[in-house]
Amino acid sequence: MSAVRRQSLATLVRFQSLLGLVLVIIAGIAFSPHRHGHILFLAPDNIANIIRSISETGILALGMTFVIIAGGIDLSVGAVLGLCSVMTATLLINDGWGLWSTLPLAIVTGVVFGVVQGAISTRFRIQAFIVTLAGLQAARGLSLIASDNAFININYGEGPGNAPPAFAVLGERIGGVFPVATLIFLVLAAVATFALNDTRYGRYVFAVGGNEKAARLSGIPVERIKISVYALTGFASAVAGIVHAGQFSFGSPNDGTGYELNAIAAVVIGGTDLFGGAGSMVGTIAGAVMLGALANILQLNDVSAAMQLLATGAIIVGAAALQTYVGTRDGTSR
Amino acid sequence: MTSLLRMQGIEKRFGGVHALRGVDFDLAAGEVHVLLGENGAGKTTLMGVLSGAVAPDAGTVAIDGRPMVFASPRDAHAAGIAMIPQELDLVPGLDIAANLFLGTEHTSGGVLNHRRMRAEAQQLLRHAGVALDARRSVASLRMGERQLVAIAKALAADARILVMDEPTAALSAVEADHLFGVVRELRGRGVGVVYISHRLEEVPRIADRVTVMRDGAVVGQAAPDSPQGELVRLLVGRSFADLFPARAARAGAPILRLAHAAFDPAIPRAGWQAPVDVSLTVHAGEIVGLAGLMGVGRTELLSALYGFGVDGAWRGTVEVRGRSTHLGSIGAARRAGISYVTDDRRGTGLVLRHTVAQNVVMSTLRRVTPWGLVSRARERADVTRALDDYDVRPRSPDARVINLSGGNQQKVVFAKELLNGPGLLLLDEPTRGVDVGAKAEIYRRLRGLAEAGLGVLVASSELPELIGLCDRIVVMHAGRTVREFGAGASEDAVRYSCEHQGIAA
Repeated sequence: MSAVRRQSLATLVRFQSLLGLVLVIIAGIAFSPHRHGHILFLAPDNIANIIRSISETGILALGMTFVIIAGGIDLSVGAVLGLCSVMTATLLINDGWGLWSTLPLAIVTGVVFGVVQGAISTRFRIQAFIVTLAGLQAARGLSLIASDNAFININYGEGPGNAPPAFAVLGERIGGVFPVATLIFLVLAAVATFALNDTRYGRYVFAVGGNEKAARLSGIPVERIKISVYALTGFASAVAGIVHAGQFSFGSPNDGTGYELNAIAAVVIGGTDLFGGAGSMVGTIAGAVMLGALANILQLNDVSAAMQLLATGAIIVGAAALQTYVGTRDGTSR
Repeated sequence: MTSLLRMQGIEKRFGGVHALRGVDFDLAAGEVHVLLGENGAGKTTLMGVLSGAVAPDAGTVAIDGRPMVFASPRDAHAAGIAMIPQELDLVPGLDIAANLFLGTEHTSGGVLNHRRMRAEAQQLLRHAGVALDARRSVASLRMGERQLVAIAKALAADARILVMDEPTAALSAVEADHLFGVVRELRGRGVGVVYISHRLEEVPRIADRVTVMRDGAVVGQAAPDSPQGELVRLLVGRSFADLFPARAARAGAPILRLAHAAFDPAIPRAGWQAPVDVSLTVHAGEIVGLAGLMGVGRTELLSALYGFGVDGAWRGTVEVRGRSTHLGSIGAARRAGISYVTDDRRGTGLVLRHTVAQNVVMSTLRRVTPWGLVSRARERADVTRALDDYDVRPRSPDARVINLSGGNQQKVVFAKELLNGPGLLLLDEPTRGVDVGAKAEIYRRLRGLAEAGLGVLVASSELPELIGLCDRIVVMHAGRTVREFGAGASEDAVRYSCEHQGIAA
């Protein structure tokens, strides 16, 4: 294969999620139902729906990108999201805590949970898949304990049994259009992109995932980096959990089930290598938006949930196949 | 001698590369024919033709005088040719018996007949002179034992021609001895063996005949007892002494000084010979060699100085540039200006899938990330300088390291470890698995670095290399430095000292 063609294929993979996003948007416009002569897909309300719907898995996927580039995986993010949302609801409603104590505690819980998983995985050399699978179960158990296995409604107002009205802002829209939850996702996405591409820490993460032994001999603090990426997914899960509680005004111990798979799907579609060492934050963001837009089109056209799942599955396999194909040509696949 | 195998006038081109230029090669029954050649000399392509993996453009292959055309490896296999590749095709999770019968399992009604396969496997192993239990899993075997299982597997298919591609590359000396014993026994039974190797010192021990290839052609035959120098001349077209650059011998201030230094591992490990009593000094501008038999603690000394592979603490005098220094972690070593070049550049030296630029700055990311933020300008400056200084080709920072030749990968490793101007460079077996031409390049580069003021401490199991390269050689035994030789010591004297715990010959 000519160098030019190989180069263009590599470029294609790098931007595959952006390209996919553009294709999905074109398809969305083409297949959108119309109402009063307007394209429903492009209606401000609908776009607001799309970007709101992806804010939680999007936040999870940001953390997941660091973990996967570092050569790991974190299956616990959905369960930790559930745990932190339940904690937020319980502390605000049942325990009468204020926001300034509840939210930091929820965040610290997520981070500590991640650090513990990372430490167990590196210290005892257990595969991250196993440790975080166990972590998933543990976080679910903890959220059942924290909630007494009950659904907790968040009411707003003064006095005991009510949450401060300020917390309701997470479910609101700026100017009636732009969801606050999405704003939080975008701010975190900007920070994560910068951290991965333009800081020493980001370079360390790539090096550790690329070849752990070489990274260690190069003087890179491999253990610290490996633990830190799980702290990042823990942090992301906690933020997503708080956003979840605020958006829906309740805490339910079983919420967030399966979110880890959506987050991993966004990362893989974004072109990040599941073996670690290569990937892109912008790709992850585009991957998350693309999954949200795709689900939206299918919903608008009344396609069943079953078909939505099948379509998502096909796209994940397609993205992975394209990567492997180019990787083989490039000599970079394993 | 009847010719078991005769290859004549074999030609092969890959695009513009003339890989084989009319090569003649033959093998008699009951003969070990060593095929020597540098990387790219054409050995592997020639054996590819023999094993049916490569279709020749011209030439004939005859077995027992009958011309053969192999359309695929399966044809060659059926003709009694077995190839043992460097990367053994064994399944570690299965036991030996299952591996020997992989693809040809004995079954009754679709159910594996384990009893019969184990019994026959045991017989095959005995036949190959291998004393292993067929029920052991391959994962539990050492490299040498796996090699023997691979031989037994080849013989299971009634191979009459056995091709071995650098079989001792990953073996210890004892394992290699055992392997030679098995090969000699096969020879005695009439099997013809083509033995590909880089290791010249093996030649007199195993060869009946030696053929040397260079640039796709046979450049000569040699007697098995030819001196190494003559083989080298055939291999690279110049003499052995010319491989080594002239010494400058302008030693400067001491960079590293150890006096009765010992390293105490936090957790003692069997087979890890900790430095017990080490005294040596490396000056700026000097190359010091560590000699000694296997297991005397050469590698362990380098590990303990660079602080990897084992936790622990030094006691006694450990001085870097005249100041007492705590070594024992990679961070401490690097802060003290010590760099380490691994003997396994693909496994532990480089991130193969990353670009040249990413690899070059990997060890020195602090230089290009002031305040923790990446400075593209500094990064570009460092990478450009490294590419210029080490003449990496192609001169493209965005090329992936995996697509570079071995020699250029090695240059990237050196560039990466020397970017921050260390005072001392540690090397472990710097030329292991490298062909003679590339060795000469590494020697030249090390001497150049020393002349620029670097202190170099190099451990090697090849005495001629240490004698040709080093200004001084320190002999180790059982974790102790027992004797020191200056430049110009005779190989015999150093060898005697290594084998007799430092006693002078």
